Amino acid sequence: MDTRVVKKKLGLKDRYAAMTRGLAWETTYQPMDKVFPYDKYEGIKIHDWDKWEDPFRLTMDAYWKYQGEKEKKLYAVIEAFAQNNGQLGISDARYVNALKLFIQGVTPLEYYAHRGFAHVGRQFTGAGARVAAQMQSIDELRHYQTETHAISHYNKYFNGMHSAHHWFDNVWYLSVPKSFFEDAYSGGPFEFLTAVSFSFEYVLTNLLFVPFMSGAAHNGDMSTVTFGFSAQSDESRHMTLGIECIKFMLEQDPANVPIVQKWIDKWFWRGYRLLTLVAMMQDYMLPKRVMSWKEAWEMYAEQSGGALFKDLARYGIREPKGWKDACEGKDHISHQAWATFYQYSHAAAFHTWIPKEDEMAWLSEKYPDTFDRFYRSRFDQWAGMQKKEGRWFNQFLPMLCQVCQVPMMFTEPGDATRICFRESTYHGMKQHFCSDHCKEIFDDEPRKYVQAWLPVHQIYQGACYPDDINPASPGDSPVREVLRYYGVKGGADNGDFGTSPDSRNFAEWCGARLGETPTPGAPK
Amino acid sequence: MTTRTYDRLVTRGDYPLRCADSEDRFHGNRLIYVHWEQHLMFAAPFCLPLPPTLPFGALVRDVLPDLYGEHPEFEQIDWQRTEWTNSGKRFRPDFGKSLEQHGLAHKSLIRFRTPGLDGIWRNITPQRQAF
Repeated sequence: MDTRVVKKKLGLKDRYAAMTRGLAWETTYQPMDKVFPYDKYEGIKIHDWDKWEDPFRLTMDAYWKYQGEKEKKLYAVIEAFAQNNGQLGISDARYVNALKLFIQGVTPLEYYAHRGFAHVGRQFTGAGARVAAQMQSIDELRHYQTETHAISHYNKYFNGMHSAHHWFDNVWYLSVPKSFFEDAYSGGPFEFLTAVSFSFEYVLTNLLFVPFMSGAAHNGDMSTVTFGFSAQSDESRHMTLGIECIKFMLEQDPANVPIVQKWIDKWFWRGYRLLTLVAMMQDYMLPKRVMSWKEAWEMYAEQSGGALFKDLARYGIREPKGWKDACEGKDHISHQAWATFYQYSHAAAFHTWIPKEDEMAWLSEKYPDTFDRFYRSRFDQWAGMQKKEGRWFNQFLPMLCQVCQVPMMFTEPGDATRICFRESTYHGMKQHFCSDHCKEIFDDEPRKYVQAWLPVHQIYQGACYPDDINPASPGDSPVREVLRYYGVKGGADNGDFGTSPDSRNFAEWCGARLGETPTPGAPK
Repeated sequence: MTTRTYDRLVTRGDYPLRCADSEDRFHGNRLIYVHWEQHLMFAAPFCLPLPPTLPFGALVRDVLPDLYGEHPEFEQIDWQRTEWTNSGKRFRPDFGKSLEQHGLAHKSLIRFRTPGLDGIWRNITPQRQAF
C-alpha cells in the first residue's frame, strides 16, 4: 500500500506572501532600474520594499470567488429592477439627473482608475505594491462595468445618457473630472497613489459615495444602491492602500516628506474642486435629501480628516494648505455650482430647475448664514424672469480656471459677493485661476498646465464643431453647432426640467400606472 | 533617458513646451475675459474671442449689451463713471482706441465696476472694494 503523501496546505497569510514575495525576483539579464524605470524619477527614496505592509491579504483565487458571489447578487437585483419597471418607483424624475451626472462624470473615472492602477501595478519595484495596485485595477474595471450595467436600464427611459463617453471627452463640465484624472495618471506612480489612493479614496471618497448611494436609497433607486453595496467592500481595501502607501513613503526616508506634503496639498485641492459637482448634486438634484453638503463635509472631512492629519503629524505632515478655504467653501460651493448649471443648462447634458419652495426652505435651514443672504435672490430673480419672458439661459461662454477647469464662479475667501481671481504669467502669456491653491499648482508645474485642454478655448479654436462648420465663422449660433457635435439634443437632453420629455413621460407613466391622470401642469 | 526638471515638474526625459492656447490658434481673434463686478446673476466672467482692432467703444456699445443686457441694472450704467481694470490695474479707456492700443494682450482680464449699481442682493450691502 502506498503511503499517502500529505500536501502541506499554506495558510492565507503564507499564500499571500508566496504570491507577493515568492513570485518576484531580482532580474539579471537586465538591471532592475531598466525593468522598473518609473519609480525613482519622482525623487521618492525607497530603501527596503520588504517593509511594505500588504494592506489586504487577498489571493487571486479568494478574489475571484468573493467578487463572483457579489456580482451574482448584484446582477440578480439589476435584473429584477428591470423586470419590475423599477424606474417608476423613484421619488421624482428629477432624481435621474443625478444618475446622468454619475454616468457622465464618475463612471468614466472608474475606467481611468483601472488604467492608472494597471500602469502602477506594472511599475513599482516592490511586488507587494504591484499586486495591491493590480487588484485595485481589476476592481475599478468591474466598477466601471457594473455601474454601466446598473444605469443602462435608465437609458431606455430617460434622455441624457446615450453618449457618456463622447461627452466625457468633450463637454465643458466633464473636463473637470477628466483633467483631474489625466493629471493624476500622467504623474509618476507615487504621485498617482498619493492623488488617487490617498487624497481621493482615503480623504474624500465618503463625500462621493455616501451622497450618491444614500441619495439613491432615499429616492427609491435600488439598483444603484446595490451597486453601492457591492463596491463598498472594495472601497475599504482601496482606502487601506492609500494610507499604507503614504505611511510607507514617509517611513522610508525623511527626504520623502516634503515631496509627499506637496502632493497632499495639490491633490487635496484638486479633489476638493472636483467634488463641487457632488456638492451641487447633493443639495439640489436629490428630490429627497439625505444630508446637506455642509453636513457631509463636517462629518467626513472636518472630523475624520482632522483626526487623520493629527495622526500624520508625527511624520512631519500637516493638513493640506487649502484646508481652511475648503472648510469655508462648505457654505457656498453647492449654490454657486447650481447657479452656474442653471444658466448653462442649455449647453449641458442634464436638466436643471429652480428649487421648489419647500426645497428653498430646506436650503435656508441648512445654510442659515449664506443661502438667504447670498443665493436666494438669484433664484427668485430667475424664477421671475422665467414667468415673464421664458426660461433664461446664459448664451455666452464662461471663463475657466486653467487648473481645475471649473468656470470662474468661486468667490473670494471672506466675501461671497466678489469672484476670486488669481493670475500668473508664463512665457509671456497670462494664466488665470479660481483660487490661491490652483495658482500654486500651476506655478509649481506650469509646463504641464499650459497644455490644458480648456473646453471654452477649444470651442473658439474650432475643436468642437461638426465637420461642415468653418470654425472661423460658425454662424449665428455657435452653441447650437457645438451641441450638434456633442450629440446633445437641445431641450430633450438638457434645458429646464419642467418642459422636458423626461418630465412629461414620467408623469404620464405614473399616471397610467396608478390609473390617474398625469400630474397637472405637466406640458403636453 | 535622463530625469529633467522644469520649475518643480520632474519628468523622465524632455517635455516640450506645448501651449494649447497661443493667440495664433484663434482665427485672428484674441481671447478677452470680461467681468462686471458683483453682478453674480452671471455665474462667471465671460470669455470672448475678439479682434485686436476692435475699438473699445464697440466693445461697450455692441458686445456688453449682449452679455449683460438682461440684468435690470444694465440700462442704468453711466459709462463715464465706470471704473475699469486690466489684470487688477486701473485704466481709463479711450472709446475710439482699439483693444490693442489699450495694451489688452491675448487672455487679458477686463473687470469693470459701476458705482451705485452693486447687483441684486438681499439685505446686504456688498463690501466696497477699491480697485
